[in-house]
Amino acid sequence: MKKILAILMAGVLTATAFAGCGEGASNTGSDSGSGSSQGSQAAGIDSAVVDYKYFGEEDNVKLKVWAPDAAVSLIKQQIEEFKKTYSEKTFDITVIAQGESDAATQMLNDASVAADVFGLPSDQLNKLVDAGVIAPVAKGFVDYVTSSNSEDTIKAGTLKNSKGEDTLYAYPETNDNGYYLVYDNTVVTAEDAKTLEGTLEACKKANKKFIFDAGDGFYACTFAFTGGVKIDGLEDGITQKFVDYDEDEAVKTLQAFARLIKKYKGTFTSLNVKNVASGFANGTCGAGVDGSWDTAVNMKSLGDKFGAAKLPTINVDGEDKQLVSMFGYKYIGVNGSSKYPASAQILALYLAGEDCQKQRTEELGWGPSNINVQKDPIVTESAVLNAIKDQSLNSCTQVNIASTFWTPMGNLGNKLVADEWDPEDTAATKKLLQDTITNIRDEG
Amino acid sequence: MIKSYKLRRIVSNTLIYALLIILGIIWISPFVYLVMHSFRAEGLIAVDYLVPREWTFQNYIDLFTGAGGSASINFPKWFLNTLIVAIFSCIIATVSVLMVSYAFSRLRFKSRKKFMNVGMILGMFPGFMTMIAIYYLLKAMNLTGTLVALVICYSCGAGLGFQISKGFFDTVPRALDEAATIDGATKNQIFWKIILPMSKPIVVYTVLTSFIGPWTDFILAKIIMGDNIEYYTVAIGLQKMLSNDFINTYYKQFLAGSVIVAVPITLLFLKMQKYYVEGVTAGGVKG
Repeated sequence: MKKILAILMAGVLTATAFAGCGEGASNTGSDSGSGSSQGSQAAGIDSAVVDYKYFGEEDNVKLKVWAPDAAVSLIKQQIEEFKKTYSEKTFDITVIAQGESDAATQMLNDASVAADVFGLPSDQLNKLVDAGVIAPVAKGFVDYVTSSNSEDTIKAGTLKNSKGEDTLYAYPETNDNGYYLVYDNTVVTAEDAKTLEGTLEACKKANKKFIFDAGDGFYACTFAFTGGVKIDGLEDGITQKFVDYDEDEAVKTLQAFARLIKKYKGTFTSLNVKNVASGFANGTCGAGVDGSWDTAVNMKSLGDKFGAAKLPTINVDGEDKQLVSMFGYKYIGVNGSSKYPASAQILALYLAGEDCQKQRTEELGWGPSNINVQKDPIVTESAVLNAIKDQSLNSCTQVNIASTFWTPMGNLGNKLVADEWDPEDTAATKKLLQDTITNIRDEG
Repeated sequence: MIKSYKLRRIVSNTLIYALLIILGIIWISPFVYLVMHSFRAEGLIAVDYLVPREWTFQNYIDLFTGAGGSASINFPKWFLNTLIVAIFSCIIATVSVLMVSYAFSRLRFKSRKKFMNVGMILGMFPGFMTMIAIYYLLKAMNLTGTLVALVICYSCGAGLGFQISKGFFDTVPRALDEAATIDGATKNQIFWKIILPMSKPIVVYTVLTSFIGPWTDFILAKIIMGDNIEYYTVAIGLQKMLSNDFINTYYKQFLAGSVIVAVPITLLFLKMQKYYVEGVTAGGVKG
């Protein structure tokens, strides 16, 4: 009796497992089917609110949205508006806090349980496209999205699909994903903030720290970029390409950085950017390089003393060179295995639309990608957004970056700030640069 | 060479104690840091000094009242989740471990050795090796993102950890079993009425280890829970507090949370500690 029971139970378990597989497989089948049928109805739209016909047969729509924690409550409000706008349909939409930096990893873990609509930074796009888990922007929407958002964001969001055609893969959401100089204006004046030397000197006088995360490739690449070693897309889809650069010039720039770091030892501190806000709060930090994502907390820590500017210049052999940063955009993507692909596209279009972007600029301080919102006084008069915009003119776009890029760049930064590093050793600096490039290109 | 025995003993003891004190300080300093800074009022994230300048209880209050400002962070709920998972997996795991150990220790059946070897070998593979497979199996059963899934994961494989308890049961004299058999007890009765009461130390040990598991496990819980933040356990919840979105507001609450997590484990340990000494088997058999 017991044996029979055991066999039965094992049978049931196996059956459940297989039933699950079957269901999964049939889902993907129907998804891809509806995806392509939707692509064919390319009619064109002229606003972020579209006709009901774009929903197709979908009703009683159940969607999951991922948004960074700071934006969750606002996105929830916007989704209520969305429901009112399309009142003929029924929706069940949940918003979950999921940091954008982690979005691709979570998507790749298991796209079928991931969000239908999610926020992501530009550099994660190629991973998601390669894995085939992100759905391209619906064909009917492409023209409108392209014309209403800034050219750079469209360019960075356009990748080659499996057939080699240029495809827009996500809805541009922000044009602000970069870092800038943030300072305590009682310590550093706007004039000081123009040069790295001035900023460091002012911090030193006040006995406060200048925080720059040299150990993180995302920030440390500034050293190389400023020296002219800029990235230029990918070769064969995986190897990082660099523009032609003057090696001697690059070495000179790296040495200039190392000299300053040595001269202002104790002032120039390499710490995680989260220490900037913390340092402002307890009065140990005078200035730092931090990103748009920390603007709110930095403002809160500094209050009236908050100052923002583009990254400063550095003097290399008598010539002031502008620091060049990494700069990216944020997008709203649609999950390729969404059960309601058409509705997910419409929601993404809505959330990335002009009104929603404007609200996010007003309430969260995010820099918009929509060209109309970019002209709004709220953007043109914001010190932070202007600093970010100025810096974006001196930047490399954070798209098509090899996964091997970050660690060697962080290593380069760590070496330059290390106590034992000798800024005058040209040969060693040259070797460091060459090694970094070799490691990034994985040719070692 | 020191001649006096007393002097030699003092010198060697001093050296040994000095070494032990150094080791002790190294071992305990992270805890001291953690506890002290969980009461820190100033600053947002880690600071580079040991003693906080201002003391406060606010971090603990915020942790339980959700004053941090984000609706996603809900420590009391996570704590409750973990407690539920820990209690259930503790009960199931303890019972199954002890039963398996008893069977291997006392019963003689075909391929007993083989089963033990298979158990040993399976137990040697690191738990996270099968994680992805577990995830997809749970998904097929529609259990991902639920506490039931965690209880299943933590308790169902527990029987494989039978070695230590089996070793303990082996030391309990067989004469006791035989005496009980003569008195008409079944194997089942022997297990519950004779062996278990005499094996309190190992029962306590098993309870403690299986209770601690859910509090400390991170990888499996993370994979199973995904973005279902409401059902997070403390381990993944605390890690969430340190993610980029939250660290500035939640770092100090994270420290407070880490201290709080130690409470139920400590309580359970204090409560059960006395049984460690009590359950002595010697003297059970006379002459």
